[in-house]
Amino acid sequence: MTSTTTTAETTSGRTGRSWWIPRLSQGDRVRAAVITALLLFVLLILPSLLSGYWTNVCTAVAIYSVVALGLGVLMGRTGLVSLGQIAILALGAWVAARLFFATGLPFPLVLILTGLITMVLGTVVGLPALRLSGLYLALITLMLAGAITVALRTTNFPNGGHGFLGHTETDRGAGDIRRPLVAHADTAYFRYTVIVCALLFLLALLHVRAKPGRAWAAIRQSEPAALAAGVNITLYKLWAFALASFMTGVAGALLAADVGQLFTLAFPTQDSITLLAAVLMGGIYSIWGAIVAGALMRLLPALLDNWGLPADLLTILFGVGVLQVLLTAPQGIVYQLPRDLKNLGRLLYGLVRKVVPARERAG
Amino acid sequence: MPSFEDFKPFIVTGLALGGVYALQGVGIVVLYRATGVLNLAFGAVGAFGALLAWQLINHNGWAQGPAFVVCILFGGVVTLLYGLLFGPPLAARDPLVKAVATLGLALILLGAMSWIWSDKARSMVLPSSNHGFEVSNVLVNYTQVIAFGFAVVITVTTGLFLRFTNLGTAMRALANDREITATLGVPVRRVEAFAWLGSGLLAGAAGLLLSNLVGLDAATLTFLVISSLAATLIARLRSIYVTFIAAIVVGMVNALITPILSISQYRDMTPFVLATVALLVLSGRKNQALTGRAG
Repeated sequence: MTSTTTTAETTSGRTGRSWWIPRLSQGDRVRAAVITALLLFVLLILPSLLSGYWTNVCTAVAIYSVVALGLGVLMGRTGLVSLGQIAILALGAWVAARLFFATGLPFPLVLILTGLITMVLGTVVGLPALRLSGLYLALITLMLAGAITVALRTTNFPNGGHGFLGHTETDRGAGDIRRPLVAHADTAYFRYTVIVCALLFLLALLHVRAKPGRAWAAIRQSEPAALAAGVNITLYKLWAFALASFMTGVAGALLAADVGQLFTLAFPTQDSITLLAAVLMGGIYSIWGAIVAGALMRLLPALLDNWGLPADLLTILFGVGVLQVLLTAPQGIVYQLPRDLKNLGRLLYGLVRKVVPARERAG
Repeated sequence: MPSFEDFKPFIVTGLALGGVYALQGVGIVVLYRATGVLNLAFGAVGAFGALLAWQLINHNGWAQGPAFVVCILFGGVVTLLYGLLFGPPLAARDPLVKAVATLGLALILLGAMSWIWSDKARSMVLPSSNHGFEVSNVLVNYTQVIAFGFAVVITVTTGLFLRFTNLGTAMRALANDREITATLGVPVRRVEAFAWLGSGLLAGAAGLLLSNLVGLDAATLTFLVISSLAATLIARLRSIYVTFIAAIVVGMVNALITPILSISQYRDMTPFVLATVALLVLSGRKNQALTGRAG
């Protein structure tokens, strides 16, 4: 650990780079190029290809992929199963709506504040369970999901009313939750959302690549071994929980501004379980898996609706998907999935390498 | 603050609900101890059974008796099938993975229920709900009596069964160490199958009672298992007697808050609050942190 830091410091001293910029291998550079190209495509070209309805669907996909990534950090990286992530998303949306109506703070500041408040709330809830075995965390978060649904049913979401709860039944309140000034239209807000989500993905990636990521991997593989190696288990579990809650909170704020009016019905307890299923199917260990999970959660229902199929089919499909993923990965999803992905990645990388030098030679 | 008179009817409701939570809790704990599977689909199985019984009575012209039997048997058969199909391949995996796998079953059942029966409000009335008696001005119907009585009977007989029969001893042995039990010549799969079947029948019975005491709604019945899970968590997934007591407490607290208007609407948060308090007490014991399933 210490030796790596020293090497990094001396290197950065020589090249004049900041210490926190990771040195990229060739694979990383290719990956970064692919991601940048994809991001540019999504930001510049995709909105012009989509109608207003599908743009809104894609905004939701981006938001839910951040929620999925939060669960991925917990489950895939640290080995903690949370069954209450949608409840935390609802909590984030509530906090954001409250802040929007109570203050005139600029949008990005509200995003960050919401993330921080949700982080504190989420971590406090997880705290008692984190010191016990993972099963207890799964149970307590499932109960949290139920409890938050109950609380929201009573308090409802703030819509510009008075008092702490800020909900009024009499009229539509103070209108919609406002969007950022630079991104008021749907397409602009889609771009804004994608950029914020990309930043959150980057935040998660930086964590995974750095010391917390290594500590999480150690905890996931064997807690006693991690303890013996000097990893502060409670701290890093808490850290993972805090990061996931922060990301989910920001996603909640994005969602609040996206829909304008929030309703309790949009956050059923069942969705927390559906999210877990989607994340498992998408691949809990990969950044791409989170995007796939976001699409499974929000794009697939829209497609099914478009084709005139009942959305309940999706719930059944998710159920089958969970069993399939758990059964066909006998060593554990945590081991199997990245290996499949790595094989696939190696295959693609091999293809890219075959193509790229050929072009370079030609150029 | 309401007077004692206001609380009286809710004591009965609380005991009845607590009784059903205890039934579910005992079913969950016995299965967890014998197979290492925390069945999170327990509520969904019962809900499906209850809706099936409703369908048979109202659309297929069945008499109530056979339909109720079908409900209970459905619970047993589905749980047993799941156990036979998915138990062995997942046997060596982490308890967490096994628990997550049962969520797959829960989702399949939830999706099927809302597809077949949609989310319309329905009701099913057991014949025992139409008759009752009065205890100091509080009307008690026989379904409530059955719910509480059945819970007591099941808890005690399960306790005796685990303590004194060969099958029960085998289950307790499995709970301690699956490998060693298998080496000693205990037919592990057969013993596990009995545990699956037994807890499945309890799931069906609990679903039937809950559909009567609470209402016949797929999502509500499925997630009502949260109350029972709170009870099992307080009992640290071990003692069925502690589970029973904890379940009664959860049911009672939940019901007794009803007349207190200021917090009445938040009463369904009871399981979460009680479980969190219990966890805070539990987490004082550090040794649990490293052992997933201490014996």
